[in-house]
Amino acid sequence: MPEVLAIALTVLLVVLTAAFAQRFGIGKEVSLAGTRALVQILILASLILLLFKLPLYWSFIVLLAMAAIAGHTTYSRSGKLERGLPLAIVSIAATSVLLLIPFFLLSIFPFEARYVIPTGSILIGNAMNVSSLAIDRYRGEIKNRRAEVEAYLALGAQPKLAASACLKQGILSALIPSIDNMKNLGLVWIPGVMTGMLLGGADPMEAASIQIAIFTSIFAAGMIASSLLLHYSTDSFFTKAAQLREEMD
Amino acid sequence: MNKAHVELKDASKAVLRKVNHNRVKTQILSNLDLRIERGELVTIMGASGSGKTTLLRLINRLSEADSGVIMLNGGDIRDYAPIELRRKVGMVFQLPVMFKGSVRDNIAFGMKLWGDTIDLEALAEACGISENLLDVDAEQLSVGEKQRVCIARALANQPDVLLLDEPTSSLDAKSAEKIEELLLKLRMEKNLTVLWVTHEKEQAERIGGRRLVLKDGRLEEYHA
Repeated sequence: MPEVLAIALTVLLVVLTAAFAQRFGIGKEVSLAGTRALVQILILASLILLLFKLPLYWSFIVLLAMAAIAGHTTYSRSGKLERGLPLAIVSIAATSVLLLIPFFLLSIFPFEARYVIPTGSILIGNAMNVSSLAIDRYRGEIKNRRAEVEAYLALGAQPKLAASACLKQGILSALIPSIDNMKNLGLVWIPGVMTGMLLGGADPMEAASIQIAIFTSIFAAGMIASSLLLHYSTDSFFTKAAQLREEMD
Repeated sequence: MNKAHVELKDASKAVLRKVNHNRVKTQILSNLDLRIERGELVTIMGASGSGKTTLLRLINRLSEADSGVIMLNGGDIRDYAPIELRRKVGMVFQLPVMFKGSVRDNIAFGMKLWGDTIDLEALAEACGISENLLDVDAEQLSVGEKQRVCIARALANQPDVLLLDEPTSSLDAKSAEKIEELLLKLRMEKNLTVLWVTHEKEQAERIGGRRLVLKDGRLEEYHA
């Protein structure tokens, strides 16, 4: 019964917020996004129900599919850079899997679909958000600082060195929200995992310990995935003759 | 016939320009020929948008020619590694851009890049940068001082050719005159081949050398 009421509340809130958002001309977007989110999360819940009954490798196939969709989102944000799609998928997938492993190696969670999928999806989602912000900012920095980048190239610097200040700025800008969230953790907000565990009746210390482990992993996933993506995508902004591409003008 | 130091044969270049949110292809240089001997000073004049900067960018391969051949010391520049080519062909831009760090860090950039050792203090002095400025944050300098640092930074690579893209256009008359004198002195001392782009006829007349005008994508002799 509570699930029916929760869905009813969601529908009501989507309708109300969309009506309010209409004042800013984004009513349609808000109602579409809200409806999409509701449908997607219900499909995901059904999928997880199904996955609980399937062998564990299916959970990893689902995570890889999530990483592919996340990679595509980031790739679109990059201005569809050459080689951008495989780079985005690999950097998000590899980083998320790498940071997922310790939770099960250290037996923080049992190695079951119930834990693999939600934890993995949090890591993938955050790696995608940070990577999308970082690549968008990186592209913007290279464009805005074209004169500086070309001053480096004109002296004989390799593209990676010429764009290094832009890369740093891209990563820093993308990580600012995560750094602020980490600084204010427990002060102005209780994050999702801890909230869920507390609502489920878990011990607050246990909930807090697991939350901070997940939170730092999320931060690391965002930072590592975006660093990998930006580092390996640098060459796509330049020609083989170390010239800034004309579309960056 | 002796090998030219820098030579452009039949070089053409079109660029995409934004017109009403659309990108329109505009022919900038058309079948352009230019021969520059070692140690020669050539001044290029022309209206804004006539392709003066594009011409310089083709020579150190910051941009690629659509057709034709550009040669350095008799060899096609495409046969040089771009990084090596840019070491031999230095460029000073219209607006000076400082890298993060001190004046010393900026001038020493090429030294670190190539692992060379040069007398940094002597080069700074030759470029009119006083010793007490060397450890100052480069961003704090005036535009004229920054341009001097850019010249020193380009010369620290010990190039054979120096491309000057209106290096004094952002300076006041007095600073511009000083930079002009400095560049002409350095050219003589280092036996540099210099291609100097300017939009001022008066400056071109002061500088001397061979004067050319870029018009409709081609070079013509300048007659005062």
